[in-house]
Amino acid sequence: MDLLTSTTVQQIINAVSVGAIYALFALGYALVFSILGVLNLAHSAIFMWGAFIGMLALDPEKAPILIAFSIAALLLSIPSILLEKRIVQPQLLRLPHQSQRFVGLIVRVVALYLLWQIGRPIYGILIGILPETMIIPAIIAFVFSVLGGGILSVILEFTAFRPLRARNAARLAQLVSSIGAALVLVNVAQIAFDWLYNRTEGYYPRDVQLLPFIPTETWIIGDLRITPIRVVILVIALGLMVALQYMVTKTQIGQQMRAVAFNQRISSLLGIDVSRVYIVTFFLAGAFGGAAGMLFGMVFLNVTPFIGESIALVGLTAIVLGGLGSINGAVLGGFIVAFIQTASVTFGGSSYRNAIVFILLFLVLLLRPQGILGQAEENRA
Amino acid sequence: MKTSRKLFLLLLILSLPTLFISAQDDMDMQIGFWEECATPENLPETVTIGAIFSLSGPVSVYGSVQNQGVVLAIQDINEAAYLGEGVTLEVIFEDAQNDAEQAINAMTKLIEEDGVVAVLGPTLSTQAFSADAIAQENGIPVMGVSNTASGITDMGDFVFRNSLPESAVTPGTIAQASEILGIESVGVLYGNDDDFTVSGYEVFVDALEDNDIDILREETFAVGDVDFSTQLTNLLSDEPDALVISTLAAEAVQIITQARDLGFDGPIIGGNGLNSPSIIEQAGDDAEGVIAGAAWNIASPNPLSVAFAAAYQEAYDFAPDQFATQAYTGAWLMATAIRCADSTDGQAVRDALAGIEGFDSPLGSFSFAEDRNPVHDPVVQIIADGAFTVLGADMTDE
Amino acid sequence: MGFLIDGFNQLQTWLLILLSPLNITEPVLQFMLVSAILGLSIYLTLYTGMFSLANGGFMAIGAYVSVLLTQQAGWSLSLSILTGMIVAGIIAVPIGLPVLRLRDIYLAIATIGFGEVVRIMALNFDDLVESFIKWMVQKEILFDSLISRAETSDMLDITIRDNGNVRVNFELLGGARGIKGIPVMAETWMLVLFLIIVIYFIIRLHRSRLGRAMAAIRQDEQAASNMGIDVVYVKNVVFVLSAMIAAAAGGLSGHLTRIIDPSNYGFDLVVDILAYAVLGGTQTWAGPVIGAMVLRALPETLRGFSELRGLINGLILLGAIVYLPSGLVDIKGFRGLVAYFRNNRTQRKEMVKDNANT
Repeated sequence: MDLLTSTTVQQIINAVSVGAIYALFALGYALVFSILGVLNLAHSAIFMWGAFIGMLALDPEKAPILIAFSIAALLLSIPSILLEKRIVQPQLLRLPHQSQRFVGLIVRVVALYLLWQIGRPIYGILIGILPETMIIPAIIAFVFSVLGGGILSVILEFTAFRPLRARNAARLAQLVSSIGAALVLVNVAQIAFDWLYNRTEGYYPRDVQLLPFIPTETWIIGDLRITPIRVVILVIALGLMVALQYMVTKTQIGQQMRAVAFNQRISSLLGIDVSRVYIVTFFLAGAFGGAAGMLFGMVFLNVTPFIGESIALVGLTAIVLGGLGSINGAVLGGFIVAFIQTASVTFGGSSYRNAIVFILLFLVLLLRPQGILGQAEENRA
Repeated sequence: MKTSRKLFLLLLILSLPTLFISAQDDMDMQIGFWEECATPENLPETVTIGAIFSLSGPVSVYGSVQNQGVVLAIQDINEAAYLGEGVTLEVIFEDAQNDAEQAINAMTKLIEEDGVVAVLGPTLSTQAFSADAIAQENGIPVMGVSNTASGITDMGDFVFRNSLPESAVTPGTIAQASEILGIESVGVLYGNDDDFTVSGYEVFVDALEDNDIDILREETFAVGDVDFSTQLTNLLSDEPDALVISTLAAEAVQIITQARDLGFDGPIIGGNGLNSPSIIEQAGDDAEGVIAGAAWNIASPNPLSVAFAAAYQEAYDFAPDQFATQAYTGAWLMATAIRCADSTDGQAVRDALAGIEGFDSPLGSFSFAEDRNPVHDPVVQIIADGAFTVLGADMTDE
Repeated sequence: MGFLIDGFNQLQTWLLILLSPLNITEPVLQFMLVSAILGLSIYLTLYTGMFSLANGGFMAIGAYVSVLLTQQAGWSLSLSILTGMIVAGIIAVPIGLPVLRLRDIYLAIATIGFGEVVRIMALNFDDLVESFIKWMVQKEILFDSLISRAETSDMLDITIRDNGNVRVNFELLGGARGIKGIPVMAETWMLVLFLIIVIYFIIRLHRSRLGRAMAAIRQDEQAASNMGIDVVYVKNVVFVLSAMIAAAAGGLSGHLTRIIDPSNYGFDLVVDILAYAVLGGTQTWAGPVIGAMVLRALPETLRGFSELRGLINGLILLGAIVYLPSGLVDIKGFRGLVAYFRNNRTQRKEMVKDNANT
């Protein structure tokens, strides 16, 4: 009997720690959905890049490559943004309307190619200056992941979402363009993996200490075993959730975000910089995705370009279950999915655990179509 | 970093011929100098074969090392002028990702448009069941280098494989483990949505019953899962003597480390999924006591295997696994068949391939059985002191 | 009939020679046609304003049913595909009634969930039957008839060990290993014929009462309901039709690939089907057909790029969505383009001025 209860407690601990990762991942999904009303299916690719960037930063041999690449990209981003804003966009406006888009595409492709060619020698010089191996503290690697995820997400906003929004495209088209973006991100990662590791997988070092005072040894309390990293994830997930909640309700940008979520056109008339709100939203979502990716890598070690695929559907389920557009709902949904999966395994149905999740989702949707914490659609739009 | 790597590669390429000559002089470690056949005379200048591997998508973890194994073999074959002076063996690699339809498309393209002599692959058994039939219809020999599902070679007399099915490996693994370690009860964890892991699981269950070992509980997971602690907690609550897991390499490290995190310190028994060098690298101390029965292992003392492992490590910067070795051997077997047939005719190559017997390879002495399945000795290894060692060997020391 | 097929085969040979620079061989063409049928199945629901992604699940049902019928029961291809379609249609009714009340993304996720449940059931069906039979044997329910069944059937195998352990082996769907050794019965002309039939059917549908009701529901569900259209009925009929078309595609593709296994019908497939429709455009039936064919041919055509293949594929999808607002088949855009080129120089110049001023 004693064994049974300790097993049960251990299972609850397992569920909570998996739930924390699901929740952290779902948070980014939910954020974009709540502001734009669009599902960003490339979020799982951002998650993967977060894990990938963190892995590179922690690998002493690969860290110089990452740093040289980041510096080169930063150096080039300033002139390229200026070029886009000052020259490309004003010039494009002078062209006939019908050909703007097409000419714009060609000009930008050519510009990207030129930047690539300029960037290569810069990268080469930087790689020459930097030492062969660099040891980066885990917390800095974490910052890299978070920033990397955020920046990638903002790039995504400019390439895959903004042009579609500009012409009032259907949400369906935005969904598919995010699928295309995910394809691109995953394939770039695959090429990068092949180049850096000669194969499409890599591993995190074991027992990474995120901060010096966090232990890495497993805690043993009676029959229970808890790995500290899982507690760290839980704390970070809950912390980020609270911070986000605070930001959305208390800060000015948060209020603007809510206004834009409510109605973009009215917000714009009220003088809110809608474009800036979108950028902030995407950056935050990407940062959460990147953070989730890095933490995922630290716990599960093995990273491939495809780790996003299995969590994508879980994250989707979590946000729908919790209530689309609700940030607390996403977190709740993540934990619920983890608990259902754990419970179905505990009671002998490990083969059916995802089927049970979906059947439950089905029932919840029928009884309460807006999800557990979601508001009814009429109240939102 | 990049330039130094390039320099290193250049040095490597420059030094390759010398390495080659010295190795040959020293102990004749070069694979493939199979004395049975004379140097061919009737081959065209380039002989083209095809290779269908999963080079992108989730299965590329296996497909890319297979690709590297074949590339290495082709270099060796051409440098040794194995098909005769001035004859080059060329491989056209096609990516089939992880679906059967792309395997069909790739096979059709290779046969109809590129006119290949023979084909290696595809990576997955499910792809083999779709694509190999096309090779059979066209009279082109095809050799699976990682297909382990039963019934692959039943598709026809042009379909071969050099990958030992789990049913040829597992009974020995369980028998040895139970004899040496005295295991009486186990918990079983397996992936239930992949044909390799399901086949492996079924063979394990049969072997466990044959050895009168109790299965206390069975749990499943899905490919791509990363958290196994729930299933493991369940299994460990029964306090089994050992865990038996049927998994692919991708999930193995997590299963091992999470089982250890949950306090399990008994043996963890598995098939080829546990046979990857990355297990020791990544799981560290947790990997101690992992028992892997497989067709090939990096600890194999076979000199051809040692030479191959060293060459692979040098070329790609990481240790080869069984997939790489089987692909490497597969390319050599195909080249040998073409050499012996002294022809690019599909039927002739097929006949020569079927006739290969006692071929010295990194997998050991290799032959094809009557039904075109591989015949060679599997190995059962245990991880002890941070290295794979033959299971029986270190026990006799004690 | 015979000379028609001969004529078609002649045509196909020429077509394939023309397409060979694009790496389109006969199997590629066949899979393109299957995808086109799938594209039409999602087109029907999208046209009615329903974001349903259940097509993958129905495709699986159609594939499994028709393959079992041809392989185990020896039925003819057309009859078994028809049965697969009917089975999928029947299953679609109880699924559609509750689910079609949902909208947008909620409907999408619920229907994705349906597909996943179908996939997981196909994966575990044999196990489920095994444990059921094992339970019956242990409880000695129908013991004798089960044992005698097992002796004659090659699907079922029961062994009772000395220590009383019962092993039951049941193989029908094959779990993760799928059903293999399926005879290749589908031919290109059948696919073309079926595609033409579906297109004809859809064109007729558009002109019918039901078709107009579908368009009305997409425009405004509330208004359609006010006009006296039975929204629930129309939605369910469309859902069933879409399920049947998807099931037919499943049956046809199952008889092309020689093996079917549950992993073919996962989330990836659903995402692909959606991309067919959106890339092609959902203004007319031609959109999903063209979109599906292009997206299926693209990976093969790009084979020459080896490792860059996937990247270019993704960039083309992204570029097409971003730069072609209404998809590849854009009727308005085409008309606009024609009108643009008909305009004379002066008008163009004026346009430039207008644009510069704004």
